[in-house]
Amino acid sequence: MTARSHTGAVPLWRSTSLLIRLRLRRLVNLFMAGSNKKSGDKKRTGNPGKRSSKVVLYLAWPLMLFSFGAITANSVMNLHAALDPPGSFWVTVEFSTALAIGIAFLLFVLWTATLLLTIGSGELAKSEWDLEWLVTLPVRSDTLLWARLAERSIVNPSGALALIPACVAIAWFSGLRWSAPIIGVLAAWPLLLLAALVRTLLDTGLRLRMSAAQLRNLHAIISVLSIITMYLAISIGLKGKSEFMLGIAASMPDWLLYTPMGLTVRAINERSFVDSLLLAMALVAEVAVILWVGVRVLRHQLRNGVVAGGARDAERKTASNTEAESAQTSWLALSAVHRRELALLRRDRNFLVQSLVLPLLIVGGQILLGTSGVASNMWTNPNVLASVAFGLAAYSLSMSAFQTLNSEGHALWLLYTFPCSIEEVLKDKAKLWGVLTLFYPLVLFAIGAFVAPDVGWNFLGAMMTALLGIPIYAFIAVALGVFGSNPLEQQPNQKVKPAYVYLYMSLSALYIYAIVTPQPVQRLIFMVLSMLLAAALWQKARDQLGYLLDPDASPPPRVSTSDGLIAAMLFFVAQAVAAVVIIGRGRATGAAVLFAFSIGGAVTYALMRFVYAKAKTEGVPTILGTDSQPLLGIVAGTLAGALGAAYLYGLNALDLLESATRASNSYTSLGLWTLPLALVAAPLFEEFIFRGLIFGGLRRSFGVWPAALASAALFAIVHPAFSIIPVFILGVCAAVVYERSRSLLAPMLAHATYNGIVIGAQTFLL
Amino acid sequence: MIEFQQLTRTYGDFTAVHPLSLEIGNGEVFGFLGPNGAGKTTTIRMMMGILVPSGGRALINGLDCHSERALVQRHVGYLPDNPIYYDFLRGREILQFVAEMHGMERREAAQQARRMLTEFGLEEVVDEFAVNYSMGMKKKLGLACALIHDPAVLILDEPINGLDPRAAREVQDRLRQAAASGKTIFMSTHLLDMAEKVCTRVGIIHRGQLTATGTLDELRERVNQNVSLEDVFLRLTEERAAEEGAASS
Repeated sequence: MTARSHTGAVPLWRSTSLLIRLRLRRLVNLFMAGSNKKSGDKKRTGNPGKRSSKVVLYLAWPLMLFSFGAITANSVMNLHAALDPPGSFWVTVEFSTALAIGIAFLLFVLWTATLLLTIGSGELAKSEWDLEWLVTLPVRSDTLLWARLAERSIVNPSGALALIPACVAIAWFSGLRWSAPIIGVLAAWPLLLLAALVRTLLDTGLRLRMSAAQLRNLHAIISVLSIITMYLAISIGLKGKSEFMLGIAASMPDWLLYTPMGLTVRAINERSFVDSLLLAMALVAEVAVILWVGVRVLRHQLRNGVVAGGARDAERKTASNTEAESAQTSWLALSAVHRRELALLRRDRNFLVQSLVLPLLIVGGQILLGTSGVASNMWTNPNVLASVAFGLAAYSLSMSAFQTLNSEGHALWLLYTFPCSIEEVLKDKAKLWGVLTLFYPLVLFAIGAFVAPDVGWNFLGAMMTALLGIPIYAFIAVALGVFGSNPLEQQPNQKVKPAYVYLYMSLSALYIYAIVTPQPVQRLIFMVLSMLLAAALWQKARDQLGYLLDPDASPPPRVSTSDGLIAAMLFFVAQAVAAVVIIGRGRATGAAVLFAFSIGGAVTYALMRFVYAKAKTEGVPTILGTDSQPLLGIVAGTLAGALGAAYLYGLNALDLLESATRASNSYTSLGLWTLPLALVAAPLFEEFIFRGLIFGGLRRSFGVWPAALASAALFAIVHPAFSIIPVFILGVCAAVVYERSRSLLAPMLAHATYNGIVIGAQTFLL
Repeated sequence: MIEFQQLTRTYGDFTAVHPLSLEIGNGEVFGFLGPNGAGKTTTIRMMMGILVPSGGRALINGLDCHSERALVQRHVGYLPDNPIYYDFLRGREILQFVAEMHGMERREAAQQARRMLTEFGLEEVVDEFAVNYSMGMKKKLGLACALIHDPAVLILDEPINGLDPRAAREVQDRLRQAAASGKTIFMSTHLLDMAEKVCTRVGIIHRGQLTATGTLDELRERVNQNVSLEDVFLRLTEERAAEEGAASS
């Protein structure tokens, strides 16, 4: 007979350590998830693991601890400046009573924020309740409750993150040096225990009373509150933003010093060892009493057993009621997908808060607490206003459109039973979110139009750029979301692959440049680029859709618009590098430019062909086809060239040609080297990229004309500004010729013919 | 109607479904039998375009289940082994959504949804969120979803697995009705009793390989005994295991 079988139950220390180990193991598993998956593991219906984000997470911890410490230190300084009489020296040894109260208040706010944060972190939203399982183990319920409190006071990352650095900072200001971290950790623990108690009381009480759906909605509200409290806590430490909270701190009553927070501050600050020990003992006694009472309350809560409330729940509505509801929206031409999405948004507060409320809070908080002066500039500078508006919408999209697949979750199989492509459903959702997220920007612009000093072209231009960007980015978000989500993942924090969110965020930041740039041409360029990017990403995502629920099959490689965009980028970079190497510090001679261009082109061409050959890609463009139609190319080139020459003639007649050509590097400045460059190298490489890859890639998803116009637009904007119009026409002609001949020879000839005619005209005119 | 041509699926080095060729004619009720992990669900998911075949193809009505999925789905109703629905949507709303996605007008879809729910005995719970349904109700709702557009082919993954005897009987009756009205049914199951009652022909899959197909009588003949399907099943899957054991030793 062992000691265990005497009592029939597992003792406290053992169950506590088991629980803590279980929790820690779970945290570690969460953290490491994905790094030890076998490729042949067929149970994994999700996506490949996410190793890339690990390093960031490892780095983030010490960084966050440090910045929380710094914020608390600043908060203490601010409190000192506000609460102590002006001119008093900074006393690192003993706090005045007012300052001690202030710091106790700071701890209280931090404690509340972390408490809300842990409750709002998702546990409430889960339908399963681990206590239901734990009570089936042979542990006495008292033991279980104490063990749970101990476990939650130790395994509480966000609590530790906020309270430990705060206590360390207080210890530091109290004159402690190397012992500050140890004292800080010891002092934070009673507070963490109290947080564990309140959290357990709350979630037990709520779970016993509320249904799962109600809990999810409450969870949403708590997560909003936690963000607000966190901002309030942080604001104490910021210069110029702290007045509000400092005012409250000044009005705090003395008895705050006798609460656990006050006793913690005093125990750390007290110089005399004996007094400090007495204060610490008072603190321990107080916390012990509170915990004891808390556990009694918990036992009372659980007197009828552990049964989550409302296992079968639904807002029961009468049929007539729901009929009216569905009739309401019928005047809007909404698809079934739209209506379903809106119904979910209306009922699922969590989704509503995540997609529409949190972005407002977080962006708003950043602006109000930030030091960049955005808050004061945005009403006077339309570019700033438009950037904020776009940023807000883009952020909203990352929580909504980006999550398109995740919001389908485990019900994704339903989409596979419908006689329509999944792309159609995603398109519907992208449209919906592109429109819904216009709401905040429109409100901002309405206020802006009202308060702005003048509403002119600047305002309109910035506004239109921002508003047009939002639907484009809705499509980008949905497309990236296809790659960036794990809809079948159980853990909420594993559902999104961070790399793709960062990619989306940085692409959105790129568009901000389009809004703030003063030049309309650049704006146009950015918009064209963003649209092409959206098309390219959408195409990639569409290729992926048939393979979404397949753990390890992937679509056969095909030439895509994105390849074309990458090739175009590579071409320019390779060309620039070659130019730097060849020309160095010398003069840009015609020969050097020709070589740099040709090397850039050849490298790009060779690399793309190599990658395609290696991946056995379908649809790689060839120069010679079965029916190359060279004559058609020459005719189209002559036509475009004639228009180009006429355009140059027009510019010349208006005396604009000389200044325009001087402003840009036109061919004619390179002497005779122009000819091989314009007649051979440019057609050869540019046609491969712009017609072969970009037009060819777009053609997979679009009709001839949209594809021709889009590829020609990109082709035009990479050319000197004065030649945008004729080059655009050439781009369209070459695309049409490529479409008809299915090989690159004809568009290459068209390009060469055009260049020949235009250079001739230019030489003749200048 | 349904045709597998060398349909294969591998996961890395593991072959879940060995090249599988099979034809199922119009109006047949085909039972796809096999122990857990034999490759039944993998095969069904390939038929639904959820998984992509590593080799060969599955055809329904002559259309490829992967590349022409959307066209195929017009004629197919599907019930997964564990149907999961959207949170915060009621059974009625889900059914109406499915009907609309199959191209029905909104009003028509609502009517059809109500009719189906009554027919399936789900009137009491139409206004409850579907995630809160019991397993039996979820399966019935899934079956209603599969039948709402009156498809010619039904693909059912373990249709009565996890149901209580009454619900199981109801679903079986429903399937017999569907078969009587001329639908082609392809269902996987490891419940032999059910296969014996409903299926016109069965195939036994073991470790990804089709070991036998035929009517029940033909299979009984194969093991030379007048025994239950269970014995046939055990014999056939056992033989296979023994053969494999012999081959590997």
